Amino acid sequence: MSLLDIRNVSKIYGELKALDNVSIRVDQGEWVAIMGPSGSGKSTMMNIIGCMDKPTKGQVFLDGIDIAKESSKRLTDIRRDKIGLIFQQFHMVNYLTAVENVMVSQYYHSMPDEAEALEALERVGLRERARHLPSQLSGGEQQRVCVARALINHPELILADEPTGNLDETNENIVLDLFRQLHREGTTLIVVTHDPEVAEAAQRTIVLEHGRLVREVVNEHFGE
Amino acid sequence: MSKRRMFLRMITASLLRRRSRMLIALLSIGIGATILAGLVTVYVDVPRQMAAQFRSYGANMLLVPSGSALTREEADAAMALIPDEERVGAAPYRYVYLNMVRRQQSFAAAGTDFEQVKRTSPYFKVTGRYPEGPREVLVGKGVADTVGARLNGVMELTWFPPSEPQEDREEDFDILPGMTLTGRAQGYGSREGFNDNPVYVTFTIGEDGMIASLSVDTSSETAGVGTRCSEEDFTALFIGKDPKDLVLGRDVDAVSGATVTSEAVVRAIMDAKPVTEESAVLVPRTINYTVVGILETGGEEEGYIYMSLADMGAITGESDRLDLVELSVSATQDNLERYAEEITSSGHATARLVKRVTKSETAVLGKLQALVFLVTLVVLVLTMVSVSTTMMAVVTERRREIGLRKALGASDGAIRGEFLGEGLFLGALGGLLGAALGFVFAQVVSVNVFGSDIRFNFWLLPITVIVSMAVAALSCLLPVRRAVAVDPALVLKGE
Repeated sequence: MSLLDIRNVSKIYGELKALDNVSIRVDQGEWVAIMGPSGSGKSTMMNIIGCMDKPTKGQVFLDGIDIAKESSKRLTDIRRDKIGLIFQQFHMVNYLTAVENVMVSQYYHSMPDEAEALEALERVGLRERARHLPSQLSGGEQQRVCVARALINHPELILADEPTGNLDETNENIVLDLFRQLHREGTTLIVVTHDPEVAEAAQRTIVLEHGRLVREVVNEHFGE
Repeated sequence: MSKRRMFLRMITASLLRRRSRMLIALLSIGIGATILAGLVTVYVDVPRQMAAQFRSYGANMLLVPSGSALTREEADAAMALIPDEERVGAAPYRYVYLNMVRRQQSFAAAGTDFEQVKRTSPYFKVTGRYPEGPREVLVGKGVADTVGARLNGVMELTWFPPSEPQEDREEDFDILPGMTLTGRAQGYGSREGFNDNPVYVTFTIGEDGMIASLSVDTSSETAGVGTRCSEEDFTALFIGKDPKDLVLGRDVDAVSGATVTSEAVVRAIMDAKPVTEESAVLVPRTINYTVVGILETGGEEEGYIYMSLADMGAITGESDRLDLVELSVSATQDNLERYAEEITSSGHATARLVKRVTKSETAVLGKLQALVFLVTLVVLVLTMVSVSTTMMAVVTERRREIGLRKALGASDGAIRGEFLGEGLFLGALGGLLGAALGFVFAQVVSVNVFGSDIRFNFWLLPITVIVSMAVAALSCLLPVRRAVAVDPALVLKGE
């Protein structure tokens, strides 16, 4: 069974069809990139997968649950339990230290555990920056903290929105290496991007245009 | 780490690391709480003090003379009509004016019994101590400030006999050798505010029926001018002159520049009468007193000089006369009224109740309390508006953070809890601050307006903190609703 099964999903805002009858399947452990120019429906797709919006039509099965039918309160629970989010703007709580930011995610999920949070930072190579505030961290470091935060609760799916959009090449490579590592460990990754280089790192790329799925490309060089 | 500890860690971090906004909110709550605590302290404490002064201990009955004077015996007879156990205190008062001749000022002086004063006027605040021995005085702060009197300093006070002519005594008398006569006449005068500035003379008659010795008291005259008439250069001129037939310029020459005083001396001699036991008091007396205490009451008592009745008797020559007795009676209003009637009808003295004073005092206090209550209410509402506005700005400022928290899985309840938690924390902190500052504020108000220290009410601390927290929580209601409404999807868009 697929981890994510999107069936004939449309999202309509008044006259505008942000998504028009799109179907996508993502299997457990897969690394998928969603590409497309702005206005293609990427963000809408991301919101729906991230349990922050519901489709106008169609079904979205996440781990067997049709999230299109759930209440927004249930959606919050599902998002918390199954999804780890990474954003283009990093989004850290600016008055909390790096380790505290990771712990916030634990706090809403289950129990804050500082040792575990420090371990996660270790994994992204920021163990010694744990007590720094976001303002004292570089953009790349902030995004790595966000990766640590996204994986701290062992989510079924990591959903990243333009994760390297605000990063230089060095930091982009660091983040992509982290993704590769997560992929090897069996984590399912969905990366929304308009950067072909980032898309090429994935196993498979789905291209959206004007709300429609126009192309699906399997990366033949994956893993090389 | 438990969830609660993480919750507290997030809230304190938010308050400590995002200082500016939170300081404004804290300041609003703190100021509100200060005024609340301060006004409530005044509201509660001042009436308590006033009540203590006016109702429980203070004088609630006055005895005044029925006729021209009240004697000690009459006062005792009147007080005997009140049961001993109900008579908490009875302070007798005799009032006269005493003069500080050198400063050309006069002050009201009261002779009293200090042991009784402590009972009838427990609110008297004495720096130093009450007089115990002879020639010791307690000086009102007003007087002390005017004349610069200090503790353990010396005050020279002069008593001038009253100016009303003595009761008609026989006018006819013969001037006999060995007789002592005394007289007075209006001089030039230097004492401001006095209509009466007499010159006093005392002289004796020799074997020849003429003046044998003369002393002149010119203490109320201009120093260095009129006062020269009391010097021997002048008084010696009268020796051997006929006291019944004296003419200035013929028998004696006036002191140059002091004609008026010189004339007064001549007139005083011509009008002099033989000294009897009664007329002996006609001579002014000057006594040095030691200031042993300064009295502060915030009232008119500060304008008086207090001494023992014995000292008062020594300077005026009257030991028995009283002007007023302040009584503190522990009895019901009905009984008080009955005692007052009995005393008045007994004819010993007229008794008056000070009930009306107490009543109007209560009315004033009631109005004051209503005002305090209103001001407190307005301040609380203003605080609420201010805190609410600040929190609203805080929510707007933190929209992205709220969105992030929701994206990370925070429920509406969790968001509500965090913002209310911050609000309550601020409320508690502001309340503590306010309770402390409010006490200082109340103390300043109390000392400056009411002239009394304030007692710290410990129960006011939890009340201030709880009210501040309630105000903070109420202020957060609207901002929290707005926080909960934030859409988590906003963090996804690359804003």
